[in-house]
Amino acid sequence: MTDECKIGVYVCNCGTNIAKVVDCDAVAEFALDQPGVTVAKSYKYMCSNPGQEMIIEDIKAEGLDRVVVAACSPRMHEPTFRKALQTAGINPYFLEMANIREQCSWVHDDPGEATGKARALTMAAVRRVAYHEPLEKRSVDMNSNVLVIGGGVVGMTAALELAGGGSRVYLVEREDHLGGNVARVDLTAPFLDSARDVVTSLVTRVTENPRIEVLLESEVTSFEGFVGNFETKVVTKGNGAVSSEFQVGNVVVATGYQQFDASRVTHYGYGKLPNVITSFELEQMLRAGCIETKEGRPPHYVAIIHCVGSRSREFHPYCSRVCCMTALKYAHEVRSAVPGCYVSDIYIDMHAFGKGHEDFYRGASEAKTLFLMYGKNDHPVIRKAGPKDDCEMLIEVNEKLSGEVIEIPADLVILMVGMEAQADSEATARLVNISRDKDGWFIESHPKLDPVATTTDGVYIAGACAAPKDIPDSVAQARAAAGRILARSIHGTIEVDAVFAEIDEEKCSGCRICNDLCPYSAIDFDEEKKRSTVISAVCKACGACVAACPSGAITARHFTDRQINAQIEGVLA
Amino acid sequence: MAIRVNPKLIGDLEAFGAEDVSKCYHCGNCSAVCPFSKETHIIPRRSMRYLQMGMEEKLKGSLEPWLCYYCGECSETCPRDAEPGETMMALRRWLTSRYDFTGISRLFYRSGKFEIMAVVVAALLTALGFVLWGMSRGSIHNYDPPNAFLPDSGIHIFDWALAGVLLVLLITNCIRMWWFTIGRDKNLHVPFWIYAKKLFVLPLHFLTQKRYAQCERKRPWLIHLALMLSYVIMLVLIMFFLGFMQDGPSIDWRVHVFGYIATVGLLGTTIFLLTRRIRKTETQYKHSHETDWIFLVLLIVVAFTGILQHILHRSGLDAAANVTYIVHLMGVVPMLGLEVPFSKWSHLAYRPLAMFFSEVRDETELAAEKAAGPVSAPQAM
Amino acid sequence: MSFEPTIVGFLCNWCSYTGADLAGTSRIHYAPNVRVIRVMCTARIDPTFVLKALHDGADGVLICGCHPGDCHYSEGNYKMMRRYPLLKKMLADYGIDEARVRLEWVSASEGQRFADIVDDMTQRVRELGPSPIKEGLARDMAER
Repeated sequence: MTDECKIGVYVCNCGTNIAKVVDCDAVAEFALDQPGVTVAKSYKYMCSNPGQEMIIEDIKAEGLDRVVVAACSPRMHEPTFRKALQTAGINPYFLEMANIREQCSWVHDDPGEATGKARALTMAAVRRVAYHEPLEKRSVDMNSNVLVIGGGVVGMTAALELAGGGSRVYLVEREDHLGGNVARVDLTAPFLDSARDVVTSLVTRVTENPRIEVLLESEVTSFEGFVGNFETKVVTKGNGAVSSEFQVGNVVVATGYQQFDASRVTHYGYGKLPNVITSFELEQMLRAGCIETKEGRPPHYVAIIHCVGSRSREFHPYCSRVCCMTALKYAHEVRSAVPGCYVSDIYIDMHAFGKGHEDFYRGASEAKTLFLMYGKNDHPVIRKAGPKDDCEMLIEVNEKLSGEVIEIPADLVILMVGMEAQADSEATARLVNISRDKDGWFIESHPKLDPVATTTDGVYIAGACAAPKDIPDSVAQARAAAGRILARSIHGTIEVDAVFAEIDEEKCSGCRICNDLCPYSAIDFDEEKKRSTVISAVCKACGACVAACPSGAITARHFTDRQINAQIEGVLA
Repeated sequence: MAIRVNPKLIGDLEAFGAEDVSKCYHCGNCSAVCPFSKETHIIPRRSMRYLQMGMEEKLKGSLEPWLCYYCGECSETCPRDAEPGETMMALRRWLTSRYDFTGISRLFYRSGKFEIMAVVVAALLTALGFVLWGMSRGSIHNYDPPNAFLPDSGIHIFDWALAGVLLVLLITNCIRMWWFTIGRDKNLHVPFWIYAKKLFVLPLHFLTQKRYAQCERKRPWLIHLALMLSYVIMLVLIMFFLGFMQDGPSIDWRVHVFGYIATVGLLGTTIFLLTRRIRKTETQYKHSHETDWIFLVLLIVVAFTGILQHILHRSGLDAAANVTYIVHLMGVVPMLGLEVPFSKWSHLAYRPLAMFFSEVRDETELAAEKAAGPVSAPQAM
Repeated sequence: MSFEPTIVGFLCNWCSYTGADLAGTSRIHYAPNVRVIRVMCTARIDPTFVLKALHDGADGVLICGCHPGDCHYSEGNYKMMRRYPLLKKMLADYGIDEARVRLEWVSASEGQRFADIVDDMTQRVRELGPSPIKEGLARDMAER
């Protein structure tokens, strides 16, 4: 079969990323010797315009009918090269990629071994591509309705943006009010804007918008279907559980975060010492307009401790991103509310990464905040002060900037509690078929290049549920997700991958083993013919039925037995 | 034993000229750029840190402020404009006020008006005293003895008495400095031979300000050296050769030469420094505390009236010369009686002592390390 | 020249292949003995693929999928889990050491875990030596 093809093999150097370890020229030479290979070249950057044009030129000039690109992971550039083939006039599925970067040059250091592996992978790709079939993308309807899970700032922003674009939005919130975590905050750093104004404005616009249906005290109980064609059930508590069903084309998951439980950090005495409070508890005081100790007196000394539950081997290794600037906000607010109060800020590092942050930090210094640094995984310890001390509590810290062990007086201690994934994030992930990382945050399609999409088409994530982030970034993601959805809904239909399973009627024996295996119920049984058939629009090409069919009657397009066997042979040749 | 943080100290230091210490976020650029900063003496960051945290006892016992010569590079490099150079200057002022047991120094530094008042009062008392004394001794029209208004024999005694008083005060201050920086440190046991070995450091630094010469820019050291040497020449002339200056028309040519050299040196350097402070050209002259102005002004007045009385006397205007002499003494008494023990001029003792103590400490620690054996943990900060 | 095993790896696209890519972007180094074949889901893996790999000369076969409960196609990995014990039984009957065929769960964020699994399996198979099937076949062919 291979002999009858005209395969073009392109070995990418990726600058020095691949070429530093893998001998690309040798791989290209080796490929040229294989049956069916007409052209084999090694080039600097295949994904670049000249690189792609080289493929297109060769296809036209040499009459190539199949292309192998040995380069980065297909998850990176398969669409790029498929497009190149399409531009050149051949079916985009006549492409196969060999991953000689992420799974070869970047992980092996011996050039001999890496080149040997690259050769084997390229050989496998060459053998496989000979069995590729021309496949056509299919079109499915795109429902313009959107489900938004989570009624915080992110959910509301996304809903408004989507409604503005013409979509009908179902906004599901499990509490009895909108606003999420931002509704618990008084002012926001670094410009000290009112969070309340922000939330009120959003809530008003959302509730007044005719295209947005808000479901409070509600939860999504099921979510089935595929992109453009999802069916979802929402249960609303209240006067008996009311269940509603909606058809939507896409969903935005905006479930946010929950705060870390400070009592887990025993050396801060939260829950035991009355004047050790969390950041959110201070927000309550700020909203009430009065900062006081539990005894009702204004504090003379206030201490703020960063990284409670974050950046720690014991609790969570990550940084919760917003706490440093929020702590500085508290330093400012305490100084204004209680003039003459001495504020200490006990931190590990000062993460002042965003717009206006460094100036805000400087401002806090100018306001005479005393900054004290402790080491990561070290423990400041809070204890009650003695009767002769002029303060309530003393905080002992191994202070790194001075190298001394010091005691800091404090009448009120504010713990900057970190962000954690919601307790039910696992259930949410399963519900919409997305994955979570080891800390429980939802995983995006690509951390740099695709931060709001997920591996499940039609499911988008935005805001802190994907990773700790502040309001500007969360709102940006909400708008990004809305933008993505609107862009895809604009034509009313979308193209979906051409890969699905097919049953050969002749071979099917009607045993129906496959029927129950399909998780999407995409296999129908024709009672008259006594044969099973795949509903291609619903099939997701997982291949479960293919491997199970005792008659070998089911083929997975683009993942046929022949193709995979060819790969096995190629890899072991 | 944990040290209690005292956030109030910074507030106190503001009167001494420390303004922007809170802005420091310890990037360390200042210490990186300081030519004198090393592992055992981290200048100026360690002092900034002690000050921010209010560690008064540590500051009192620290030598770092005296090991800094205000080249100003740290302030220029500071990304936060926290003025580390001026903070070190403020700390020198604060330490001066701490070494003095009388409490007068502290009053002077905290209130410039108080110091000016004290100077004026001392000057007026001096004037009154000498006018009365002069009138009883001789005629105002006589500059040289016999019958001089202000005969050198009497003035000579007065000078030495004044010197005695200020020496006593200065020595007590120096003993206190020793106590704070070495004496009360229980971890430091300095054997006598180390004191003896390093004693040469005192006169060496006093006379040459050798360390100042190690700053990147040499001019400040040269100016200061010129000023100091001119002053020393003048002092020697006055303390030992006062008679020669009131020797009638035949003043010894050597007294003339040294006198003129010293005068040119004194006037030239002080006026130069004054203009620099007014114009704020370099970093170290951008901030001026009242004590800085008073010191310079007194020096100029004294030097100027010194040469003026000589000119008037040589021109035959003895009465005017005597009046100028009175004014001269009105400047000298506060300068020596107040500035040296209680104010800025005390640095003439503290700086060489700081070098001496610093070398004594380093030598002691080195000897202790050698005695302990090859393995010993390095100091943290 | 000491023996270096050749191991064929079947990785599911959504979790384990992405996890292996993550090991790459994180520059985590591991043994170069595994040759990866990508499938959409471990459910696609016909046990005959494993047999074919061993027949064609692989010293070991590694199958990686999503952690149970996290399958992109919801239950695909469960199907693999069901087939796997039967496959292992069959292989045992053929006299193939149980360390030569291995099923592991690797999520998209577990780059280091993938590297560790590859290193561990490579070492074990290295210790076992070349696959007996290769020798057996070679003998067979020679005899004919």
